[in-house]
Amino acid sequence: MNQKTKSIIITILFTVLLAGGAALCLTKPSAIFSESERRELASFPALSADTLLSGEFGTNFETYATERFPFRDFFRSVKAFVSTELFGKRDNNGLFEADGHISKLDAVENPAMTDHAAKRFQFLYDTYLKEANTKVYLSIIPDKNMFLAEKNGYPALNYESFIQAFRDKTPYMQYIDIVPLLDADDYYATDSHWRQEKITDIAETLGAAMGTDVAADYQVNTLDAPFYGVYHGQLAKPFAPDTLSYLSNEALDNASVYYYDTGAPKEGPLYNMEKAYGRDPYEMFLSGSMPLVTIHNPGAKTDKKLIMFRDSYSSSLAPLLSAGYQTVTLVDIRYMQSAFVGQLIDFTDADVLFCYGTTLLNNSLAMR
Amino acid sequence: MVFSSIPFLYYFLPLVLGVYFLAPKVLKNTVLLVFSLLFYAWGEPRYVLLMVVTILINYGLGLLIERFRGSKLARLFLGLSLVVSLGFLAYFKYADFFIENFNRLTGLSVNLLGIALPIGISFYTFQIVSYIIDVYRGAARAQKNPLTLATYVALFPQLIAGPIVRYVDIERELHHRTHSVGDFALGARRFVIGLSKKVLLANVLGELCKAFLQSNEPSVLFYWLYVIAFMLQIYFDFSGYSDMAIGIGRMLGFRFLENFNYPFIAKSLSDFWRRWHISLGSWFRDYVYFPMGGSRVKPLRLLLNLFTVWFLTGFWHGAEWNFIVWGLYFGLLLTIEKFFIGKRLEKTKIVGHVYVLVLTSFSFAIFAAGSMEQALSLLAGMFGAGDLPLLSPAFIYSVKSYGLILAISAIAATPLPKLLRAKITENKKLAAVWDVVEILLIAVLFLLSTAYLADGAFNPFLYFRF
Repeated sequence: MNQKTKSIIITILFTVLLAGGAALCLTKPSAIFSESERRELASFPALSADTLLSGEFGTNFETYATERFPFRDFFRSVKAFVSTELFGKRDNNGLFEADGHISKLDAVENPAMTDHAAKRFQFLYDTYLKEANTKVYLSIIPDKNMFLAEKNGYPALNYESFIQAFRDKTPYMQYIDIVPLLDADDYYATDSHWRQEKITDIAETLGAAMGTDVAADYQVNTLDAPFYGVYHGQLAKPFAPDTLSYLSNEALDNASVYYYDTGAPKEGPLYNMEKAYGRDPYEMFLSGSMPLVTIHNPGAKTDKKLIMFRDSYSSSLAPLLSAGYQTVTLVDIRYMQSAFVGQLIDFTDADVLFCYGTTLLNNSLAMR
Repeated sequence: MVFSSIPFLYYFLPLVLGVYFLAPKVLKNTVLLVFSLLFYAWGEPRYVLLMVVTILINYGLGLLIERFRGSKLARLFLGLSLVVSLGFLAYFKYADFFIENFNRLTGLSVNLLGIALPIGISFYTFQIVSYIIDVYRGAARAQKNPLTLATYVALFPQLIAGPIVRYVDIERELHHRTHSVGDFALGARRFVIGLSKKVLLANVLGELCKAFLQSNEPSVLFYWLYVIAFMLQIYFDFSGYSDMAIGIGRMLGFRFLENFNYPFIAKSLSDFWRRWHISLGSWFRDYVYFPMGGSRVKPLRLLLNLFTVWFLTGFWHGAEWNFIVWGLYFGLLLTIEKFFIGKRLEKTKIVGHVYVLVLTSFSFAIFAAGSMEQALSLLAGMFGAGDLPLLSPAFIYSVKSYGLILAISAIAATPLPKLLRAKITENKKLAAVWDVVEILLIAVLFLLSTAYLADGAFNPFLYFRF
């Protein structure tokens, strides 16, 4: 090939790449919701003299152009493949594959974050629990990284010392150790959460430690749709989906669930089947992120009440605990101020369980 | 806006190239100026005015210097220009540094100004100063058309991160440049190489650096790995940007001078600085070192000249003591080379390379830090201070995860790929195959860089802060 021909080909190629890409950007931006990443992508930024002069438009446009790039999921997959398979990087955007699971690197302890979480708990204890006739318990759920990272050569938190350090910061709570009951397969392969059908022993251990029998027989129901967990889309590589199962029995079928996300109580399902077929099927358990939820189980073995300060792991755990407690109230202080909790909840004679995953304790900024 | 971004690649660049090549010859500079101002205003709208004012003042002073050349007035106007241009630079870049140190020395607490650094001010100020001094010396004619001078200063390919292009080097092209498919193709090829260096290598190495900085598991070898990764990151980041600037310039009909020439294969630090950020080194040589007498002076004066240049070189990079120490560190080592070991080093085969790599790694430990305290802490870590273990799990993971990209980067930082290409193209049959491979590589690297950018992967730009 002579140089002139080569130059012409390169010029045409470069022009086509630039012009074609530009035309696609203008005419076919990606959809505003990324199914694979489970998040809303940036909208075209507001254009005004203010936003232009402050540089805000430029910054936001960059986010918009990047997030809404045509065929972005395809490009993300290409990047993930090249980065890991060709260049040998062992994680893609912090996610790695090991023992049939996708997991997320989580090796950096943030003492400021654990301090923040401990301070919020101390506030709740001092404000509502110290003087009430309550028993206060703490249980910490390790990220599934605990069972995958170190043994596969990935950096990881020292979960034992992390949990011990947090226990030391909360000496007023009785700790219930559930770590020995868990292994990687108790969690979904493509998601960070645990499988409800695998944690009945966890519920029984928690119940026993709190002096309540929560053992029950359940029917295992399986969704007739694949479950692509939150890590699946973030990994951006081919990976087999999970199946999602949920437990039911007569008592749970007759339980009532009240949601307080708008202030006034609103009755809703224990298992939200609309969400089960939605963007994040795990949200089927107690309808996902909610500030305050109450389960009334008339078929419970006792008339005791349990108040759980919790994160999303408890959405699938709480229905199992309701076998022993007539009322289980779940409070998520990421979505409601700790200072307002007392206006809605009576702590008298309740068992109180703080049940949190290590991931949230180590990234607790959202706790209010 | 940076070149390695989706808005630049798929919005700005196609638009500017389209309008530029459709515009009649007489309007091409105006098109470039308008787009260059837009490019600058994208991230720094309020500082466009500062740049325009600096250009206009120096436009007028340039004409006055030429008119009164040879008289004291010309010297006065030169002084005035330097005061204005360097005064703006001092105010916007160094004011808080001076106040901080004044407060430390006096115990006073004068409030800091908290001024945001105008992007690229170090680069365009040096371009303007070179123009004014060249006009004063008679090496260049004063530009009569303010739009042409503004086009030179604000030309977007080199506006925010260099190379520092001298007016005399592109004066002819500002008026009479030619365009050809050959130049466009060479420019496009160079641009894609630079983009790939930045996105596929520098950014990934940046992730390794970030992982080190966030890690709770320090170890001696992890410190060394960090410094090596940082050296390679900054090289590919900055040389990649220079490649992109040179490539775009070539597409538009400009031929900017090279800014890097495989610095890590140098056999002495003098050689290293002839290969690293060439446009900055030659700027200080021609506008500071030579006017002070260069090396043809008495030894004590030579020491003063050398340390002045290296103090300024360090200070140019940032308003922190670690940059000044970084510059003086090179000043000291280059002095030792000049007086004692320089010639012997150049004659060695291995020793010189090891010497350069080890001493530059210490220099980059100082450079990478945010302050002198951090720099000392980094250097201490490299020597195992504080009973650091030799290895840590985070180090082992980083080696496993980034080993291949580090190896590719190390090879790409040498002329080996270029030599290999030359060897292949010696054979006619292989050369024909290579032509096809090269065309495919351009497309693949461009699309792969796009994939990395669309993923929203880590994309810092180190030389933005200078």
